[in-house]
Amino acid sequence: MSDSRGQVETRLVYAHGLASIIVLFVSLLFGFFASLEMAAPDSLGASPWLTWGRLRYDHTQGIMLGWLANAFFAFLYHAVPLLTGRRVTSVRLGQWIFGLWNFAIVLPGWILVLAGFSQPLEWAEFPLVIDAFVVLALLLAAIQFLPPFFSRGLEDLYVSSWYIIGGLVFTLLAYPMGNFVPELVPGARGAAFSGLWIHDAVGLFVTPLALAMIYFVIPAATRRPIFSHFLSMLGFWLLFFLYPLNGTHHYVFSVIPMSAQIGAITASTLLGVDVILVVANLLLSLRGAGWLPRDLGLRFVATGTVFYLIVSIQGSVQAQMAVNQSVHFSDWVVGHSHLAMLGFASFAAAGGLIHVWQRIPWARYNAEALEWSYWLLLAGVILMVTDLTVAGLVEARMWQSSAPWIESVRAAGPYWMFRALTFVPIAGGFVALLAGLTTGDPGAGLAAIRDSVGLKPVSEIAPRLAIAESE
Amino acid sequence: MRRALRMSYLAAAVGGLGFFAMSVLLLGVWPGRALEHQIHATSPEHPLALSASEQRGRAIYAREGCAYCHTQQIRYLSSDVSRFGAATLAWETIFDYPHLWGTRRIGPDLSREASIRPEDWQFSHLYAPRALVADSVMPAFPWLFDGAPDRPRQEGRDLVAYLETLGRDRALAGPEGEAHARTACNCSDDERRFAFAALNASPAMARRTGEHPRLDASQDLSHGKELYAQYCAACHGLRGEGDGPGSAGLHPRPANLAEHEYTLDRLSASLWNGVAGTAMPGWRDLAPRDLSAIAQVVRGFHAVQPEPSLPSDVLELGARVYADRCAQCHGEKGGGDGSAAGQFSIAPADLRSGRPSMAASLRALRNGVDGTPMAPWNRELSEAELSAVAYFVRGFFQQ
Repeated sequence: MSDSRGQVETRLVYAHGLASIIVLFVSLLFGFFASLEMAAPDSLGASPWLTWGRLRYDHTQGIMLGWLANAFFAFLYHAVPLLTGRRVTSVRLGQWIFGLWNFAIVLPGWILVLAGFSQPLEWAEFPLVIDAFVVLALLLAAIQFLPPFFSRGLEDLYVSSWYIIGGLVFTLLAYPMGNFVPELVPGARGAAFSGLWIHDAVGLFVTPLALAMIYFVIPAATRRPIFSHFLSMLGFWLLFFLYPLNGTHHYVFSVIPMSAQIGAITASTLLGVDVILVVANLLLSLRGAGWLPRDLGLRFVATGTVFYLIVSIQGSVQAQMAVNQSVHFSDWVVGHSHLAMLGFASFAAAGGLIHVWQRIPWARYNAEALEWSYWLLLAGVILMVTDLTVAGLVEARMWQSSAPWIESVRAAGPYWMFRALTFVPIAGGFVALLAGLTTGDPGAGLAAIRDSVGLKPVSEIAPRLAIAESE
Repeated sequence: MRRALRMSYLAAAVGGLGFFAMSVLLLGVWPGRALEHQIHATSPEHPLALSASEQRGRAIYAREGCAYCHTQQIRYLSSDVSRFGAATLAWETIFDYPHLWGTRRIGPDLSREASIRPEDWQFSHLYAPRALVADSVMPAFPWLFDGAPDRPRQEGRDLVAYLETLGRDRALAGPEGEAHARTACNCSDDERRFAFAALNASPAMARRTGEHPRLDASQDLSHGKELYAQYCAACHGLRGEGDGPGSAGLHPRPANLAEHEYTLDRLSASLWNGVAGTAMPGWRDLAPRDLSAIAQVVRGFHAVQPEPSLPSDVLELGARVYADRCAQCHGEKGGGDGSAAGQFSIAPADLRSGRPSMAASLRALRNGVDGTPMAPWNRELSEAELSAVAYFVRGFFQQ
């Protein structure tokens, strides 16, 4: 390390990275069990601990707070020092955050939900006591990661930095709103706040940090600056303007005032336009890297970018009243959220993890396994989302007809069975991801960097990234 | 220059936080105020809050994720309203801490569940959903019971008590409440149409208004058998003997269709409206063509047997006993419309549109019909009187 001011705490990167994948497997199993119970009810017996609702709660909370959040933290420990040229606040604090996050939030949260302590709010299912720890941990994370930006000074910040600051600050604001307010404000009035959080969880926590990863990995792996800093900033500000205004599109045709619904739908439409802008900038930055970049981190991130475009335009379409009235409540929406969390966010997170792993000199790295991981996950997510999309359209059609309700359940049966089977490629893909990051030779990642694209010498991109690369 | 830059970051930070604040104000606080006004204007004076048991049931509903498959929100759309009833008004949700609206509908919406299914059906369905609805994917909740659908534990009772509250306040508000809410509702004509739709909403389902349809006899029997297997067999059994897997927990038991002969009109009424006080729901979602096909299958279960001819003094005895003991409820002409009929939640059998077999008639007289007001008569009547009246009542059919 030539410059200790920007030193990366590789042990914390490694700990969060490994934790993210372990937690991911548990979340994945929750999801698989839930999908199995829909395809073949009673197949897991009738224990209260394995009932569908509880598994469903643990699946989504585990994916968001377990897998993605840990992966984000791993990435932040790598990126923040490189972006600011300063160390994170404290290693000891980092150990506390790691312990709190995994052993005071994710693990007890799961157990409490399975034992019957939860709240029935989407993306907020962990019980209130866990929420208190989440807020505390988010506060500590802000203390850990934000001061380097401020002590460095905010001038000439790279766009990833903006997304990191925005994501951490806004999540700290939005999380309490989504988790506490509906407990205090009843019924329709509370639902208005719930709607906001359902979108903020994805829009203000997952998306900014995933985009921070994508914006970080692309120039670092291609060794070429981002296409347009101006577009990056425009995209950033528009996203942070529009994302929070989307929430009410989850309750279209409800008793919530129509003007709020129409406002949210308008914001959803504009958001699609903005994402075209963001993704265009990202894809233009990828020029020259090929359709299938050789650098695996870059490849995951690039694929996540494409999924981001698809899922956002899909969301804009689904929010339109004419579409929403028939497909809302259907499996297409479930497909949409899997495209967002598995397609966009998980590909970005996996890419980010691979990228930072390559740069831990002592970490094992197995490119062949990661190659498998990529193709299995790609196949899995495409199969699952396509299946759920068709299922949703079939259900929507049945609901519009006068057929008895149960006909729509019967019609969805084969699709649910197929969805449960997509567990095989997806789980295989994540097993390969784990293998890719825990087998192979230590330091093989560094060799992989030298072997990959590298379109321009690193010193031409940004001096601060050059510090990182020269280590 | 540096100062200007720093000021611009400050402005950006304030602006950024402003975006979030704006979203909360525009989509959270302001709609909340509008809803509060609407609730104030449209709510009945004292809507019935949940009892302690219902409150506990609500917590079970919440923790088991019921709201993740069953919405409690009927949207302002004809597809929702025709299926589930009038759209959800804001005041109906004022006791929901937190709300249970849901964003996914795997099972039907439950906003009006209270008036749709009776308690025994709910218990049986929670205990073993597929015993009643063959294609259901609902999780079973046997741990809320002591080994049988009619032996719920306290948690099971609480949960069903909560289900019985869904839509209760709206029903209790009655026509006066609806009228008050309609005039006070600050909503567009379109919204008003969906929120206060005049619906034939009792006792089973909301879809379609009007009287039960005329069914005709010539039908595709194989189609009918398929429909019967899908919708009816779970309770009434594959051979119509009232012994399907879902029958065990139901009181009264599902009708034994093989032991009764029904007119088409009776079958149509039962299929269209359900049977009040029993677990039999209305099947208004099915087209009249399908209902005719099912009716044909049901009528096929009954084997026509040669009728014994009895001496006239037996008939006279039967008529005398009937007039003394039965006519009060079942009516002078056997139409189930006696002077006392109105006081029962389950209507007395209409013997003119449904004829029991001799064995079924005798059994009902001797043992009564479990789960209905029909009492056993074996202590009151002699064996000869029982046989006579059992025979006599069968004579009302199609009179």
